[in-house]
Amino acid sequence: MRRTRRQVVAGLAAVLGAAPLATWADDARPTPQAVVQRWYRLILELVRHTPTYSPPVASRALAYIGITAYEVVASTGTALRSLTGQVHDLIPLPQSAIAVDRGVALHAAMAVVVQAMFGNTGPTGQRAMQAMTDKGALRQATGVAPDLVAQSVAHGRSVAAHILAWSQSDGGAVVENMGFPLSYALGNTPAAWVPTSRVAQQQFPLLPLWGRNRPFAMPAGDACGLPPPPDYSEDPSSAFFAEAREVYDTVKGLTDDQKRIARFWSDDAMLSPTPPGHWMHIALRALDDEGADLVQHVDVLARLGIAVADAFIACWASKYTYDLLRPVTYIRRFIDPKFEPLLNTPPFPEYPSGHSTQSAAAAVVLTAIWGEHFAFDDDTHVDEGMPARSFASFHAAADEAALSRLYGGIHFRAAIERGLAQGRCVGAFAAGLQTRI
Amino acid sequence: MRMLVFVLMATAARADDMVIPQFADDGAAAGITSVYAGDWQYFVGGGVAVFDCNADGFQDMLLAGGEAPATFYRNVGAQGGALAFQAAASGLEMDAVTGAYPLDVDGDGIIDVALLRVGENHLMRGLGYCRFASANADWGFDGGDAWSTAFAATWEAGATWPTIAIGNYLDRDEEDFPWGSCTDNWLHRPSGDGFAPPLPLTPSFCALSMLFTDWDRSGTPALRVSNDREYYRGGQEQMWRMPPGEAPALYTEAEGWQRLRVWGMGIASHDVTGDGYPDYFLTSMADNKFQTLTQPDAGPPLPRFADVAFARGITAHRPYTGTDLFPSTAWHAQFDDVNNDGRADLFIAKGNVSQMPDFAQADPNNLLLQTPDGTFIEAGDLAGVASVATSRGAALADLNMDGLLDLVVVNRWEPAQLWRNVTPDPQAWAGVRLQQPGANRDAIGAWVEVRRADQVTRREITLGGGHASGQVGWLHFGLGDAATAEVRVIWPDGSTDDWQALPANAFSTLSPGQPPRPYSRP
Repeated sequence: MRRTRRQVVAGLAAVLGAAPLATWADDARPTPQAVVQRWYRLILELVRHTPTYSPPVASRALAYIGITAYEVVASTGTALRSLTGQVHDLIPLPQSAIAVDRGVALHAAMAVVVQAMFGNTGPTGQRAMQAMTDKGALRQATGVAPDLVAQSVAHGRSVAAHILAWSQSDGGAVVENMGFPLSYALGNTPAAWVPTSRVAQQQFPLLPLWGRNRPFAMPAGDACGLPPPPDYSEDPSSAFFAEAREVYDTVKGLTDDQKRIARFWSDDAMLSPTPPGHWMHIALRALDDEGADLVQHVDVLARLGIAVADAFIACWASKYTYDLLRPVTYIRRFIDPKFEPLLNTPPFPEYPSGHSTQSAAAAVVLTAIWGEHFAFDDDTHVDEGMPARSFASFHAAADEAALSRLYGGIHFRAAIERGLAQGRCVGAFAAGLQTRI
Repeated sequence: MRMLVFVLMATAARADDMVIPQFADDGAAAGITSVYAGDWQYFVGGGVAVFDCNADGFQDMLLAGGEAPATFYRNVGAQGGALAFQAAASGLEMDAVTGAYPLDVDGDGIIDVALLRVGENHLMRGLGYCRFASANADWGFDGGDAWSTAFAATWEAGATWPTIAIGNYLDRDEEDFPWGSCTDNWLHRPSGDGFAPPLPLTPSFCALSMLFTDWDRSGTPALRVSNDREYYRGGQEQMWRMPPGEAPALYTEAEGWQRLRVWGMGIASHDVTGDGYPDYFLTSMADNKFQTLTQPDAGPPLPRFADVAFARGITAHRPYTGTDLFPSTAWHAQFDDVNNDGRADLFIAKGNVSQMPDFAQADPNNLLLQTPDGTFIEAGDLAGVASVATSRGAALADLNMDGLLDLVVVNRWEPAQLWRNVTPDPQAWAGVRLQQPGANRDAIGAWVEVRRADQVTRREITLGGGHASGQVGWLHFGLGDAATAEVRVIWPDGSTDDWQALPANAFSTLSPGQPPRPYSRP
């Protein structure tokens, strides 16, 4: 059965090409789950095309957007249980005392929350959001009594406003200078992170305070803390040197497939939907392929958004606790001054690997929903000319995403393996949310 | 922070040794009122063409107006006087113009103008006395129907008509999901006394600047294309190999080309490093790039470039004055010597795309002066040109023929600005114009070399690049404190003149095999 699904996905990708997710053809009134799919297709574009959207920022937006959709559906007479009381500081949401058209309310809520989250995007994104808002509202209102439309829109907007108000106090609402502080005291030990590029804006590290943000389902930012990385040493016989040597040797001996893997999971900010968007794409594909109903759509998207958001908080807390230098810095100092990693080294401390943490967290949530042996094809980057990759399970995909950072030359093995462990810890909190009444 | 303080102190020390140019705002007095207007389809573009269309030596201007008609300004100033222009009917006053580039298409000795538009592009034939009319039909030029945002021209070996590249942006009808809808760029090659149907330069990635440039000094220019990564899928910066008579082909990674993805908005080229090869400044958002060829001494060069913007002090990534410290947005860039010290300086036009709050709203234009060690220091505020208007296209040109480069900047939603260079006690200079018989009269593709003492300044004559802005006419060379200088020209056909004396503090016309002819106003 799983193989059949993979073949179906591959066929869809071939047909849809650069527009892999659900589209509104000319159907007058899309189903509510089609509304969700359509909005998420735009959201992943906006993640890519909004300059502030580094991976942590993207994960936060995806969490709040997912919770908004979830709570709209939960508040309109479905079997979903509100996340109030399960995620930090979310107070009870408005309930609909009167009849509500779920599709109209959902579209109205998405319009509000997406425009708020991406209010800083460029003129083309603004235009696209407005087009989506206007055209979607028109379609959703088709055949619905005007007074029902009005009260449904009001309800959707009130839920969105409630979530947005809640979002303002988490510590991540304001991101300036694309996340790079204008002043910062770099560490002064040999092991400390130092800038790795000649990009002026990146001489200070990205979002150094992100680890202090309020988590969603995770009890606290350090709830999934990690042991320190291997002791820093410049001794060629040390474990630390051996890790650096492994990165160096791996990059020097990359096979074509390893290069493909590194680039497939590179997920660079502003050139891709970022790592959390990558996993969102995987989930949207699976939902579409499985013919999931609206309840399952919003359940998956909310919990996945929470998982990746909490993962970045946990990961960033560890990164700035340990403040470790990148492989390129160490290797150029002690092994080969001309070393060039395959991927651009991200502008923040090394330990642990963010992609590893958030991929493992995502895999835990998706595995909790669809099981340990859910085979799928990942076509996130088909429109960039990268063929889809096949995986036997979500954890297999997460493991490859993590290892890709070694191939890319941007992480030591400890950051990868412990990042995965951290992500599994984080993901368990999101997966454990009680979503059904 | 210690490092930052040191850099600031070092910069201040170097600034003491530099000639800081001084500019006076002549815009209002000179009668410049043109505004680059319009909404979504005009958030890019906004160019200016500078050219002499009445053969008086003084440079006239055409400013793009976006949804409003373009405005032609005749230069009515006096040599050495305040800048003075007069809006005049010229036939160039089309609406939907995003940019403009002057060139003598048909080799008749009268400048023509290419108009980039949202809609049909036009080649406007010069009729003399600054009158123009569309020659699309007569020249078989297919102006298409696209959102055109980039232009470059060259004369391929043996050709008597130019090859024109047009860069196009998004599919403007794609409202819902415009990303990935970049439309094809076009290559218009000549055919007889006109043009063949345009050849699509596929793949195209939303070009905002194009430049034919002889990057490896092979004698055959390639086409560099700077693309806006905001909109492409699988795209990158590009360079097309352009063998005459053959189909263009992209340089590949196997040939040494390195993938670079930026919000490419403008290209400025100049041999800043003095290695004999052009260097390229690429404008973008936040950090800008400055590329220099990495191995010019190791056999035939590969198209591999190192980004030395940081080392040279020209990342220009955020405002340098005022309280707005968000990242910058850069558009037109141009290397030229604004203080006549013999070193190319760098002007960058800055301006928010369209009220993007993550980027600087008050984003001052840059005027970066090159120091003797090849690094640059910011002097826009000291020079008086640190405008925070929403700038797009621009031109440095000696508009009053006093031996100092003036500055015109096109702004979105606000009137264009015009500054006169009033630097006191200017150092020596030379104004040079190339003129060859027959086709390619302005010698696009030539190299001009100016030698003073033991220094040689080399300059490739190109037509394109910048942001929607171009110029043909006087070339400006600062001579510093040199009392004499020499010049030679490597003409587009490869023939090279002998070194000959170049009159200082004077305008001269150079033609193949002839001594410099002094300019005299008709």
